[in-house]
Order: sequence, then C-alpha cells, then structure tokens
Amino acid sequence: MLENCGPRISSLYLHVPFCAQKCAYCAFFSEASSGELINRYVAALVREMELVAHDLQPRTIFFGGGTPSLLNLRQWEKILRTMERLNLLGAEEFTVECNPATVSADKSKLLRDFGVNRISMGVQSLDEALLDRLGRIHTREMVFKSFDTLRAAGFDNVNVDLMFAIPGQTMKIWRATLTEALSLGSEHLSSYEVIYEEDTPLFAQLQAGEFSVDEDLACDMYEDLIARTTAAGFHQYEIANFARDAALNSQLSTRNFPSHACRHNLNYWRGGSFHGLGPSATGYVRGVRTKNWSNTQLYCEQLEKGKRAIESREELSPVARAGETAAFGLRMNAGWPFADFQRTTGHDLRGEWSADMDGLVQRGWASRTPERFQLTHEGLRFADAAAESFLR
Amino acid sequence: MDAAHIRNFSIIAHIDHGKTTLSDRLLHRTGTVATRDMEAQLLDSMDLERERGITIKAHPVTMLYKAKNGETYELNLIDTPGHVDFTYEVSRSLAACEGALLIVDAAQGVEAQTVANVHLAMKQNLTIIPVINKIDLPHADIPQAKRQLEDILAIPAETAIPASAKEGIGIEEILEAIVERVPPPKPTGAPGLQALAFDSLYDTYKGVITHVRVFNGELKAGMNIKLLHSGKNYEVKEVGSFNPKPYVRAKLEVGETGYMTANIKTAAEVKMGDTITDARHPSGVLPGFKEVHPMVFSGIYPINTADYEHLKQNMAKLQLNDSAFAYSAETSVALGFGFRCGFLGLLHMEIVQERLRREYGMDIIATYPSVVYRVTMTGKDKTVKEVDNPAFLPDVTHIEKIEEPMVRAYIICPNEYIGDMMALVSEKRGTLDHTETLDPKRVMLHNLVPLGEILIDFHDRIKSLTRGYGSMDYEHADYQESDMVKLDMLVNNEPMDAFSSIVHRTKAEGRGRALAEKLKEVIPRQQFQVKIQAAIGGKIVASESVSAFRKDVTAKCYGGDVSRKRKLLEKQKEGKKRMKSIGNVNIPQEAFIEVLKT
Repeated sequence: MLENCGPRISSLYLHVPFCAQKCAYCAFFSEASSGELINRYVAALVREMELVAHDLQPRTIFFGGGTPSLLNLRQWEKILRTMERLNLLGAEEFTVECNPATVSADKSKLLRDFGVNRISMGVQSLDEALLDRLGRIHTREMVFKSFDTLRAAGFDNVNVDLMFAIPGQTMKIWRATLTEALSLGSEHLSSYEVIYEEDTPLFAQLQAGEFSVDEDLACDMYEDLIARTTAAGFHQYEIANFARDAALNSQLSTRNFPSHACRHNLNYWRGGSFHGLGPSATGYVRGVRTKNWSNTQLYCEQLEKGKRAIESREELSPVARAGETAAFGLRMNAGWPFADFQRTTGHDLRGEWSADMDGLVQRGWASRTPERFQLTHEGLRFADAAAESFLR
Repeated sequence: MDAAHIRNFSIIAHIDHGKTTLSDRLLHRTGTVATRDMEAQLLDSMDLERERGITIKAHPVTMLYKAKNGETYELNLIDTPGHVDFTYEVSRSLAACEGALLIVDAAQGVEAQTVANVHLAMKQNLTIIPVINKIDLPHADIPQAKRQLEDILAIPAETAIPASAKEGIGIEEILEAIVERVPPPKPTGAPGLQALAFDSLYDTYKGVITHVRVFNGELKAGMNIKLLHSGKNYEVKEVGSFNPKPYVRAKLEVGETGYMTANIKTAAEVKMGDTITDARHPSGVLPGFKEVHPMVFSGIYPINTADYEHLKQNMAKLQLNDSAFAYSAETSVALGFGFRCGFLGLLHMEIVQERLRREYGMDIIATYPSVVYRVTMTGKDKTVKEVDNPAFLPDVTHIEKIEEPMVRAYIICPNEYIGDMMALVSEKRGTLDHTETLDPKRVMLHNLVPLGEILIDFHDRIKSLTRGYGSMDYEHADYQESDMVKLDMLVNNEPMDAFSSIVHRTKAEGRGRALAEKLKEVIPRQQFQVKIQAAIGGKIVASESVSAFRKDVTAKCYGGDVSRKRKLLEKQKEGKKRMKSIGNVNIPQEAFIEVLKT
C-alpha cells in the first residue's frame, strides 16, 4: 500500500458532523443530531480509525465540527478507548472544539483523562443580540461558566473563537466583546471576519439586501483586534490567529511561532501531511488530497462495508503542489524561511517564484531577506491576491 | 409578352399597413400561387424580414392576369425595401416600374414613412394608385384617409380604391386599375439592350442572381453583356422570372422583369442601378445611377477573441448578399481584433448585427455608432478628410472646421404630443422647419436634425413619448458645420479607445459624465484606486473613481479549505488573464460590453 511508504503521518483531524442547531454563517458540513445516527457515526468513525491507524503516529490531533462536544460521555468514551487501543493517543497537542453550551465537568474530565490538552471554544460573540443573530445556542453566561469548568478540569491551553464584522455589530459592541474575551485569559485567540458562504442563511440575507457589508468597518475592527491582542500579550502568527508565548529563554523571532500557537493548524499552513476522518473530512497524505463523503448516511454505509468513504482524490503536479504550499504558507506572519520551504516541497522558492516575490516586495506587501520571504502587515490584508501569484 | 400587355408596379406602404397581405392576395387572385398553404408572407424570404415586417431584399414576381377586357397581362410586382436606410435601393426598384400602389391604412392614415416613399415615386414619374386598406376595421375612417391623400400627398381622393386585403375586398378593382392606369413600358429607342440591375442576391451554386428590368432590346442566355458602371463583361448563363419561385425563360424582352445569372462571384461586382447592355454594341446608361456609400459606422468585435477568423468569414458571406455593407479590419486596445463596418443607416446596422448573431451564430459586440464627419484641415490646401472613426479624428489644432451630416426628419404625431416632440428635436440639436396639419388630430413636423443624433434612441423616444402613436422617417440632407469635439474616456490616465466618440460640444460633458458613471459601476475594484475620466482634448470634464480594496484575504483558512480556496484563486488568476489591462487596471471584457450596450 502506498500509505506504507515513508514515516507515519503525525497529524490527525476528525470531523464530528453534528450540531444542536445550524448557525447562520456556517457552511461546514453538519446536521441536526439524532441519537441513532450519532451512534452509527461513532461506530463508523471507529472503523475508519482502524483502517488508517497503521499509518498514524499522531503528534497533533484535532476534533472539529460541527460540534464535537455534542457527543455524549458514552460516545466519547467509545472513541477515546478505540484511540487508546489503536495507539493513537499521546499527542503533544490534542484539541477538541467545544460549544460553550455543551461543556460539562464530566465531559471535560473524560477528555482530560484521555490526553486532550487543548480546547477550542466557539464563543463568536459576547453580545446576546448578536449571538441570536448568528443562531448560536449559547449565552454570554455559558461562556464564562464553561471557561471556568474547563480550567477546573485542568485545561491550561484554551482557544477562544471570536467573529467580527457581524451584521449589526458596531465598533462599540466589538470592542466590548474583545475586552471581555481578553479578560478571560485564554492562551490562544482565533478571530476572523464573518465569511458569507453560499448556502448559508446569512448569505441569503445579504443577497436579499437585508444588510450591506461595510468594508471600512471590518478593516477597522481587524486593526483594532491586532492592536488590542498585541497589547494584551498575544502574538499574531497567522491572519486570524493569536497566541501567548510562554517560552522565556529564547527570542520569538528565532522560533517563528509563539509557544501556544496551534501546532495542528501550523501543519496545515506549512503544507504538512494529515489524515482526515469523518464525513466531509479532508486528508492530505504524501501529496494526495482526499475528501470523504459529506453525507453521513453514505459515510456510514461505506465504512460498514469496511471501505474508506473517500469521495474524491486530487494529486497535483509537484510544482503546483509547491505553489499551493507557498501560497497558503504566506498566511503566517513568519512567512516562508527558504530552507523550510525547500525541505517541505523540494523546491526553492527563490527559483520558480522569484519574480512573484519581487512583485510583492515592490508593492510593499512583502519583505525578503536572505533567510525568508514574508508578507508585511499590509500584505497580510491582501494575502489572497499575494497567494494567487504563487499558484502554478 | 409584347410590351403593351406588361405592367410593372411596386407597392408603397407603411409597416403593418398591409403590403404583404395585399401582395399575397394578388398572387393568389391571379393564380400565381394556387393555395394558401405556403407561409403567410411569400415575398419576404429572410426570417428577420418576416419578424420585423419589413422587406430588406426585393423580389420581383411575375403574375399573369386575365383582365375584364378579355386580354391577358403580365403583371410584375417589384417589391421594395420598406425603409429609408435603403432609399437608393427603393429608388432603383421604383425605377424599374411605371406605377405604384400606395397603401394607406384606413384607421391610421398616412404615416411618415409613406410620405418619404411617395415623394420618391413621384420623382420617378410613377403613376400612383392609392389603396385605402383595412376598411373592414371598426374604426376605419375612409373620408379622413382620403382627405390626407389630398392634403399631404396631393393625390386626388377620387382615385383611391377602398379595400381590405385581409377580407379580399377590392382586389379585383386593384388589378383592373393596374391594367388600366399604369402605362405599358415603352422601349427607350436605344439601338440595343438596356436593362436595369435593381437588386441581387447570392446563390451558392449560381453565383450572384441579378434582378433585372429590361428597358430596351432583349436579354437571353449566351449573350455577352457589359455592366456599364462597373465596366465588367460577362456571359449570361440563364434568364428567368419569379412566380414567386424562380423559373427559367428563353429571354426577357422590353418591359419584362426577372433575373439573370452570369457567373458573377460577389454581389459587389453588380452595382445597384447599373445598366446592362450588349457587350459588342453597348447602348447608353439608364438615368439615376448613384454609388452607394455607407452613412453609419460602428466597430464589430467578437466577444470571444478566438472567433475573429470565423467572424471574418461570416462577414464576407454576408457581404455576398449585401453589397451596401462594408467592413475592414481594425483593432481596439479594449476589444482586440475586430472590424470597422459601414452601413446605409441605423436599420441596416441593426439588421447586419442581428443576422451575424442569429443566422451566423456569432457572439459580437458593437461599438458606439458614428456618422461620417467632414473635417477641413488648416493650412493652405484646406484638405477635406472624411472621418468615421473617432480614433482617426486629427488633432484639434489641425482642424479648421468639422461638418456633420444632416437629415430631414418627418415626425407624425397626435396633436397633444407636439410639445414633447419639439423638445425632443431640440434636445437632439435639431430645428423644426415647419408644421403641417394632417387632420384634426395629427400633425407632421418637418425637422432638420443631425444624423449622428438620431442614431441611438430617437425613434424609440418618439414611440415612448407618444405612447406608440408617433411615427418618424427621414431622408438624408446636406452637411452642416458643427462644433464637434472628440470625447475620450480615460482610466488611470490611459484612453479606452472603444469609448471614444465624436460629439457636439454641448453634449460632450453630459455624455462624458454618464459614461464615467456607468464605467464606475462596471469596473471592478482593484488593489489601488481607479480614476475614470472623460476628457475633451486635454480637458477633464467628468471624473469618477473606484475605491481600492482595503483587503483581499480569506478570513479563515484551514486544512479542509485549501483545495477549494486554491481552485477559487486559480479561477481568479485565469479570469485576470482574460481581462484587458488599461493603465494597469484590469477590466473584464464584460464590463466594456455592459457599457457599450447602454
């Protein structure tokens, strides 16, 4: 089997496609839960882990969704026990996404006991009206309470997800939310502008003219975000990601990332391999990108037959793959150290892409030193335009 | 048939007044067409003609009619293109006749188009037989139609025949009147063959089929002929007539009408109105010949640049059938490779564009139409240049004066719209010459208007201002000196050639502003500010700007998003390659098209 060539894959993503209620902005694959289907899904996920385990030695694990915290204790236990049996536990970073409404002390303890060491909380806003607007099921109070629960359970690495430029959100509301979120004292903050994805209620409302997008306001909120997180001791290491740095001895600049940066996500942006399990999950293993069936029913059927539930595969030419890796790596503040790029892709960024880099430097969007190429503060705001030029 | 038993006539009518229905009736009544199982409108063979109710290509049809006096006559109906763009073609068709049926709708009365064509027929000394059609309609007003005949056209009312082509009323009387009133053709007295070429169409197998009317002598297969104006010689392969399908005849004699083939390769070789004579014993030319020159010009470009060669081939094919259509290659920064095309007028332009789209399936975009300006240069010799493309307008410092073509425009409208019409004419820089009362409810305004001003929406505006009751027609008049300027549209200081136009100084600013606003809407935002300006000479008269993007970044992008995002960016990158870059600004071709459409 192809999967057996080379070292085993060290990054694992698992998708939990269930939500208590679909959020207005969300285009991720998820569906309202029925107990029976969730049990069937858990069994299928277990089966899929069994099929892939031989190629895995996870250093980072990430349960995303959907709402992973929606699974009940018994379901979680089944998954975690399987991971234990398959030798998948013991990752340096093991993250589970949680909705503040579904965090309980029991569940927190169970996760902690099996080695989960990072929680990502989908807070989005601390304004009740906006939480309603977004279709979130939690309240402000639940956020504070859940955070305490997690801390009590021993989680010392927590991420808070925040959204800005939400329709109806004023600068004042945003500032208040950001202030309160920072005061929680989390180790990590992900904050991104609302994306209007097709097939979401929010997109439909935008199309119908129920509100309009205020680009200037969104930009101002973003600048405010960077200034305030920096002042609060965070380091921006990617367009939407901020983390604290706990390492005392070495300068951040020589390490590229703050110590609480999400390693699992860094692997994505660095073009690293990972297995993706669960309905609609994407994997990227030794240059081949795969995507599982998005339909949970179909996903389960495949695995019940003992087959992986892969819907599509994509393998780019080496140079196209390197171009893609270059493009997405630029989302990180550290950009691309030339040596790292060469190691990851086998290509020299200074060869094929030299003119593209020069063009961006000329526009003031990027800087280039003998060691690395990285986007400037302004360039990060145009990361897509920059990324485009690297694609081959 | 001996000339005494031949009658050549055409039909003059406003659109929808029943010309085609009457033609069909005549064909039917004379037994030329036995049943009505054929398509409703026999004479119009192009889809477009049928759809728009106008005839573009004239087809002569020969009918045999046994009159009340017991004798059989050969009646040749020479159909005419019913639009002023084709005035010269109409005049050539009329020149092939001795008489004309003038159809007036009993309910609507005389319309502007009728007036222009009756004037043409009168100039040719044709006997006019007025027919008041649609008398079966409940709101038919025969006395009023008669009064208008006398008042507007100076045609004796008692000569009018009441009819209903639809109901078959008056058909007999019309046929009898043709026999009795239209004079038989008379030989010209020239020593040999004189025939008028009044139309042509292209056939893949036979080459050009020339429609002819023999004025003197005879035309038959095997003859060596000479076209006097083009100076070319041919051997006649076949002669015949239409009934309405073509049929071969041994020869065409004095007064007869039909067609001729002679291995002529392109329609351009046969000039409309040319005289056909015996090559060995040439007779003199028939009167009235004119070279046809395009009056309106516009660039036609393929929307997909790869279609250029295909478009070129199709234009050549189109020209085979339409010698009045002219084209030559040109390039535009904005639109790429295309053609500068010349047309007889607006309708002709529309027809050509429509035919390219529909018959030839071409995806095309046309630039803002222009007329032919006469530019007198400064300097001793005062050279006069004809300019039909704003790109070739000389620098203002070298121009002494610019003259623009004028038209006499007739507008007929109900009284209550006179004010609106006068305001419209004045908006179009026209002058009202005089007003004529047609009946208690309607007037006709005689105006002098620049041709360039009526190119775009004049007719539509008349229709909408008068709720459809107004009608308009025009004939070409002289050139007049005018304060014309070149209006350029600039994007980040670079001119966009496709939007340049020659406009009157008083209108330049308004048009510049409107174009700038429209461009602002369609030019996508860039990563820098885009300046859109309208300029006359070096002077900026209108300015807009498209603000820069402040960001272009996907807020959130993780492992599962990479593939989809990459494809999106690839698509964008591909799209940018297809855009035209002007002054560093990427503009999608759709944006140009969007603006040119308005």
